[in-house]
Amino acid sequence: MTRREPFGIVAVFATPGALESAARQLRALGFDSVEACTPYPVEDVGRSLHPGRNVLLPLLVMAAAVVGLAWGYFVQYWDAALDYPIDVGGRPYHSWPAFAVTTVETAALFAVAAAFFGLLASCRLPRLYHPIFEAAGFERASRDRFVLSVAAKDPGFEPNLIRRVLQRHGAERVEEVAGWR
Amino acid sequence: MTVAADPMVPPGNPPVVRPGLGLTSLSVEISSRVLSPRAPGWWWIGFGAGLALLLVLAVAVAWLFVNGIGVWGVNIPVAWGLAIAEYVWWIALASGGTIVSALFYLTRSPWRAATNRIAESMLLCAAASAGILPILHLGRPGLFYWLFVYPNTMDLWPQARSPLWWDFIALFCYILMSLMFYYVGLLPDLATVRDLATTRGKQVFYAVLALGWRGSARDWRNHKTVYAIMAAVMTPMVVSVHSIVGLDFAGGLTLGWHSTQFPPYFFFGAVISGTALVIVLTIFVRWGYGLYDLITGYHLNALGKVMLVGSLLLAYAYIWEAWGPFYGGDAAERTEFIDRISGFTAWQYWATIILDVAVPQLLWLPAVRASPTALASIAAGVMVGMWLERFVLVVASLHRNYMPAEWGDYVPTIWDWGIFAGSIGLFLTLFLLLLRFLPAVSLAEMRELIDKAAE
Repeated sequence: MTRREPFGIVAVFATPGALESAARQLRALGFDSVEACTPYPVEDVGRSLHPGRNVLLPLLVMAAAVVGLAWGYFVQYWDAALDYPIDVGGRPYHSWPAFAVTTVETAALFAVAAAFFGLLASCRLPRLYHPIFEAAGFERASRDRFVLSVAAKDPGFEPNLIRRVLQRHGAERVEEVAGWR
Repeated sequence: MTVAADPMVPPGNPPVVRPGLGLTSLSVEISSRVLSPRAPGWWWIGFGAGLALLLVLAVAVAWLFVNGIGVWGVNIPVAWGLAIAEYVWWIALASGGTIVSALFYLTRSPWRAATNRIAESMLLCAAASAGILPILHLGRPGLFYWLFVYPNTMDLWPQARSPLWWDFIALFCYILMSLMFYYVGLLPDLATVRDLATTRGKQVFYAVLALGWRGSARDWRNHKTVYAIMAAVMTPMVVSVHSIVGLDFAGGLTLGWHSTQFPPYFFFGAVISGTALVIVLTIFVRWGYGLYDLITGYHLNALGKVMLVGSLLLAYAYIWEAWGPFYGGDAAERTEFIDRISGFTAWQYWATIILDVAVPQLLWLPAVRASPTALASIAAGVMVGMWLERFVLVVASLHRNYMPAEWGDYVPTIWDWGIFAGSIGLFLTLFLLLLRFLPAVSLAEMRELIDKAAE
């Protein structure tokens, strides 16, 4: 295993409001690697840290649905019209209305699967270890505390300035965290 | 500090969350049920009953596999018996889980947050119970995999024009989709349990399940996007799944089945019976875990209204079912219907009408919707009624088909009933396991409600 490296500064707040104002000020000071970990989605924080719309995931799901649609139809066409044609009362082998139902089901399955795996990929999960887990009090970010972090890889990383900003906004605890790569 | 500011809640009605509930107490309270080394007494009683019934299933299935489906009461002409009726029944119950969790997510209903986990757990367990029944009903259950589409050395392909195959694909897709939907909703809550766990084994167990969820702002943004998309896809899918079960019947040239109203008719049944099971389980979990702060009269009131809507929809379908034979002027249709309501299946038919249409009209009264006992009793009655409806539907049509020469009765044997009891055992066992080891309510969504209430 490689050595421990500085991860950044991690602050714990008691309310989403305090975290939000601290995050906004840090962003205004030019820090890019600011991230918040909260027990539930806090809309204002999300909007100020990650402005813009989430377009990639919906597009991925749409694309998967189209692929599912095509695949679902093709399999039935291959089955009933090409490879294993059975004459049922003279009905056409390529009976598209009968294929419609399962085509839609396949498209839905592909869409939901793309959404599921897209979520994991976009959140970089599964990742059982993350340096932020080393921060004291981080375990409460999944229930009643709001955690803000500024990564050390930020080009203008200035520990003292960041520390002051975080404390001014009422952080309960500010800590420099190092973790395994 | 109360939710009374919410325009959805008229003054005087119970709030969605009791004001005393905070972020800390919510997480600790729900997680402690999961992490506690000792399960409560009622859980052991329920789990014991579930295991006992599961044993019945094992014996009944073993006897079936050894002897073939001759051990059941099914024969020509009534070749579909309890197994198929119960399959339809279980699927309808499962569908209720998606209706409560996905449909009411899209409508942004605040009462959905405390009930959706129960509804979705119920969905998965009911789908498991449903899924085994058609396989058992196959004469050669070991060959059920022939329904999958895959290149094979036998050069066999399934019949893509058959509703029975559509049904298999629809159910297969539905279960997979439901699992993924469930897991996405569960992910943040697993992280909460992971962080509250104190013993090494539990920490590792829940850490692996939570996949390292941190709840960063980016994660939440992706999570919300994906969850909304999934709910939007799942909602039409649940309509389609039970409609396709209806097509299994409508596709057959059998009296009483060959009707265009079957797909919506079946879905209406899913609305009422699925909601009924959600109501029963919600009241049960609320009582068992003492979750009176999270699941309030607001939830019961809302669920009661959904069940009432289901009952009205179903009444509409029953009227058309009776209208058709008399308007159509086909003597065979008429004979079959008159026999259905006055012959072999008469008491089951009228019990269905009473339990699914007449009694649920009590839900118009706010006092009934406010009483957990009344609500649970009506819901239990609805489920019994729906079981009888499925029985009448399957049996009555087959036992009075076109030719009087092929008329015949059907009496379930003890092995039919064994499978039925066993399917309940499977449901109960799985549901109680999920209830024991996973958070019973959606913590992340409840926190949003608490946050909103505090504003």
